[in-house]
Amino acid sequence: MKSAIEIRSLSKTFRSRGGNDVEAVSRLDLTVEPGQVFGFLGSNGAGKTTTLKMACGLVMPTTGTVRLNGYDVGRQRGPAMRQIGAVLEGTRNVYWRMNAWQNLLYFGRIKGVSSTKLLKARAERLLRELDLWERRKDPVGEFSRGMQQKVAIAAALIADPPIVLLDEPALGLDVQASRTVQEWIIQLAKERGKTVVLTTHQLDMAESLCDRVAIMSHGRLLAHRSTGELLDLFRREFYQVRLRGVVEAEKTGAFPGFTASRENGHTVLAGEVGEELSVFDLVERARAAGMDLISVSPAEPNLEEIFVELIERAKETAGQDGGLELDAGARPAGIEIRG
Amino acid sequence: MVVAGTVLLNECQKRLIIMWSYRFNFMLETFMIGFLFVGISFFVSGGRPTPEQMAPALLGYLTWFFAVFAISDMSQGIREETQTGTLEQMYMSPLPSGLLLAGRSVASLFISSAMVILIGGILMLALGIRIPVRIEGVPVFALTIVGLYGFAFFMGGATLVFKQVNALSNLLTNMLLFLNGSFLTVERMPGWLEGFARSLPSTQGIDVLRRVVLDDLSLASVWQDGSLVWLTVHTAVFLFAGWGVFLWGERVARRRGLLGQY
Ligand SMILES: Nc1ncnc2c1ncn2[C@@H]1O[C@H](COP(=O)(O)OP(=O)(O)OP(=O)(O)O)[C@@H](O)[C@H]1O
Ligand SMILES: [Mg+2]
Repeated sequence: MKSAIEIRSLSKTFRSRGGNDVEAVSRLDLTVEPGQVFGFLGSNGAGKTTTLKMACGLVMPTTGTVRLNGYDVGRQRGPAMRQIGAVLEGTRNVYWRMNAWQNLLYFGRIKGVSSTKLLKARAERLLRELDLWERRKDPVGEFSRGMQQKVAIAAALIADPPIVLLDEPALGLDVQASRTVQEWIIQLAKERGKTVVLTTHQLDMAESLCDRVAIMSHGRLLAHRSTGELLDLFRREFYQVRLRGVVEAEKTGAFPGFTASRENGHTVLAGEVGEELSVFDLVERARAAGMDLISVSPAEPNLEEIFVELIERAKETAGQDGGLELDAGARPAGIEIRG
Repeated sequence: MVVAGTVLLNECQKRLIIMWSYRFNFMLETFMIGFLFVGISFFVSGGRPTPEQMAPALLGYLTWFFAVFAISDMSQGIREETQTGTLEQMYMSPLPSGLLLAGRSVASLFISSAMVILIGGILMLALGIRIPVRIEGVPVFALTIVGLYGFAFFMGGATLVFKQVNALSNLLTNMLLFLNGSFLTVERMPGWLEGFARSLPSTQGIDVLRRVVLDDLSLASVWQDGSLVWLTVHTAVFLFAGWGVFLWGERVARRRGLLGQY
């Protein structure tokens, strides 16, 4: 089966007059299989939006190619564009002066749907699914942020593209609206077989939504795995140490690599154990420092910790030859690392 | 052909809907445009404008309005749509962007024509101005408009790359009112200014249009005296240069990621 998205040695360098060229994306290789929900994670400026825009043909790559269902975005623009719908980050994406219905018809035609009958049927279905049918005649500018985002997503889907790109789909949405959008994304992939690629800073959302994630940093791919595998990889090494009362920052320094937080008046240290610091050491050090230990337990890792960890490591190894390397002994081999 | 028709209708529909949502502003603007004409006519004629004097002025003025509409549509419109992200959505269409932009231009022409008919009609009735409808005027008018849109594309392409062009285009359209010969005769300007004024969009078109429509000259005679030739050349240059600059702007914008907000 053909990959839905195939990215080959994709790079983008933005040239600036001042000579500070920005390498937003660097030799990216990636495939996304049909029907997957794929998450792009990474800090601000990691190159997620740039990657998506190159997939949409809005930004021309410096090198490399993007294929959408086999069509080269650079060379076969027309058919490639029929494969995607996109909602881009931080902008309206639709006309606020028009109502939801008018927007959907307009964008449907722009995207090459020629049958008005088909277009209207789809628009109605989308608006009903998103609970916007009753308000289809109101200008989108008067909608709440969540409703506006739903209209933008509906507009991206109006031509029924097999691939949907969503750049921070839940940005600025409240819990309820965010949940609606998420449920809908799952439905799109699971029930209608669409390939969904999204970027997000909400890692809990990525964890619950994405079949696969790619973690980017400075234009490079740090990891590209299924979400489950990535979580497994980190499972055993994270521990949580719960201490009674508030422990000052200097004392928690005895646990290198652990982060401290407060929970119900207790101090919770979370971090990774390894060769330098075993679970036994943890307990010893806590006792020696006269801390009142409540519990030591393996923490279920979440994507957020893994993310922070990978980004930290990438920073530490930046500049070193060979780039990032995870400790092969402590971890099952095979994590895809790009240097 | 069917696709082109759909695109055109689609753009017209969108424009009308959006315009309708701004109907109050549009009414005010229409009123202001009409009022401005009366004001300037009074001023230029020393307080005693006659319908005969105002006819050529109105012809020029209405053409200027087409210019304003076309130029601001392209530069301001594009500027706004890069910010709202709708331009990026347009560029994600499988249809060629040239077709979509042509559709937009025709839609904008359609709307500006409606406004010109409205404003012109009211002014003619109210002030007793007579502008005869002469079939010879049609090709001259068409050449003028095509040249104007060529220039608009030029500005649009430049706006994609240089955001400041938008501000410049406002200045330019206002300047145009006094340089395209609507009210102030180009012949009476100092030599250097005349040359500049004549190279601007619409100046030559207005000149030929007046001679054909108001002075009853035949197309053959304006061709022979060179003014129609000059208009044709002028239009062709603006059209090709404009289209070229637009394509260039698109390419640069894709390279630098300027089709959207950054
Ligand atoms: N059009 C542009 N011109 C110049 N530099 C750009 C442009 N677009 C992005 N960049 C730069 O490229 C880098 C990657 O930006 P990008 O927007 O892709 O990051 P991102 O991962 O989407 O970040 P965020 O999480 O903040 O949305 C940044 O350093 C950014 O400043
Ligand atoms: Mg981004």
